[in-house]
Amino acid sequence: MLKIRDLSVHYGKIKAVRQIDMDIAQGEIVSLIGANGAGKSTTLRALSGLVKAAGGSVEFEGKDITGWNAKSIVEAGISHCPEGRQIFPRMTVMENLELGAYTRKDTKNLSVEYDRIFEYFPVLAQRRSQMGGTLSGGEQQMLAIGRALMSKPKLLLLDEPSLGLAPLLVEKIFEIIQNINREGMTVLLIEQNAWQALNIANRGYVMETGSVAVTGAASELLHNDHVRRAYLGE
Amino acid sequence: MFQEFVQQIVNGLVLGSTYALIALGLTMIYGILGIVNWAHSELYMLGAFVGVFLVVHLKLPFLLGLVLAMLVMALFGMAMDLLVFRPLRSAPEMNMIIGTLGISIFLVQAAVIVFSPNPVRFPTEFSDAYLSFMGISITLQRLMVFCVTLVLIALLNYIIKYTTVGKAMRACEQNRDAAKLMGIDINRISLITCAIGAALAAAAGTLVGPIFLVSPQMGLAAISKVFAVVILGGMGNVPGAIWAAFILGLAESLTAGFISSYYKDVVTFCILITVLIIKPAGLFGRSQIEKV
Repeated sequence: MLKIRDLSVHYGKIKAVRQIDMDIAQGEIVSLIGANGAGKSTTLRALSGLVKAAGGSVEFEGKDITGWNAKSIVEAGISHCPEGRQIFPRMTVMENLELGAYTRKDTKNLSVEYDRIFEYFPVLAQRRSQMGGTLSGGEQQMLAIGRALMSKPKLLLLDEPSLGLAPLLVEKIFEIIQNINREGMTVLLIEQNAWQALNIANRGYVMETGSVAVTGAASELLHNDHVRRAYLGE
Repeated sequence: MFQEFVQQIVNGLVLGSTYALIALGLTMIYGILGIVNWAHSELYMLGAFVGVFLVVHLKLPFLLGLVLAMLVMALFGMAMDLLVFRPLRSAPEMNMIIGTLGISIFLVQAAVIVFSPNPVRFPTEFSDAYLSFMGISITLQRLMVFCVTLVLIALLNYIIKYTTVGKAMRACEQNRDAAKLMGIDINRISLITCAIGAALAAAAGTLVGPIFLVSPQMGLAAISKVFAVVILGGMGNVPGAIWAAFILGLAESLTAGFISSYYKDVVTFCILITVLIIKPAGLFGRSQIEKV
């Protein structure tokens, strides 16, 4: 579904991502793990068109989407739920969700998505006319995921959905990601919480200083000595 | 005394309307594009000249001339975005400041050459019509400034609150990256914002041109007041700018009427300084802490 070859991203002289290769197949959950500053978020930002790649190519469903702008990428079916939630603080929950569907032409059918999102996150239904900025951290994360789903994506990019959440809430978010995946959504998940992330993933990539250091099936990575020592705290 | 008071209130509302219409565009362009547009009041000046051309020279009815002047200046605002703002968007901030100052100087001097530096009269069919009530008389032109301003504010409020474009504008203002991730075309939103801002400034020029005089310097005379309004209302805050415009407009005309017109600017800037000391984010600035 997604094929990344030799992707590099530079911020001025800093080479944040260096020639990485990555593949995601339809229906998978792929986890991208690594320390702070390893280039995970930058990779995602390049995929969604927020930063321009310095080199390499990205192919989505057979189309070369290298260098496309953010709008075309959303329209192609990739939705990015960014790190730190980035919801619109002075807009209501409903308006936030509505903007998630900004590129959609079939605005008559949005109620299907609203129902689905309120089913995943009943608390959002209760808070629908509340300003996004007044929600708790966990609720904001739910809103951010919900908003990303509104564009009816084929591939969902999730950047650190568990960041700063209480452990119980982290469990819940991961459970919902699995539910969303079971209903057919392909997910690329960035996490520092490597154990959780590999547990729900089919495959994983480990990034270190801008490159892919280790890759393989999630179950293998969970038993890989290097990964265990560096990311699973053993 | 009472009549004098009401008269000054009316003047204050007219002045406040002018400030509001100019400040709205300035505050929106700051909030959504992140640009401090020093040339914004030149759009007000040019709008007034376009109004003179349409109403005095082409003899169009005033309200039609007003709408057309707004359309012409909306196109002008879009050209400004395309020719100056967009190329400078990724440049350092100082380039943009110099860029907008450049537009201002260019437009004022161009106006001096094209229209001559002498003030022009802008008579309309409403200039000599009076409305008298309880010994207070106001020209229809003044009444219209206030009414049209209210209509335009209501229209703008509707656009920003309820239309898809308005929601996209607010999204760009609140979180530009997230707005991009929604698939919002920032370039298109910038263009629309500049068009709306310029049209509102043109409305101000065409509406008050007949009350004062129209000259190439009228923008320069207004810009410092309009900045005071925008800062007082909280940079980028649309409702704040509207309230601040009327507060300053009323304060100015009441000072001019009851103390001395020499002191009106003193009062304006005293209010500004006091507010900045007590509430640095502006009278209507956002003090609430947003959870991240």
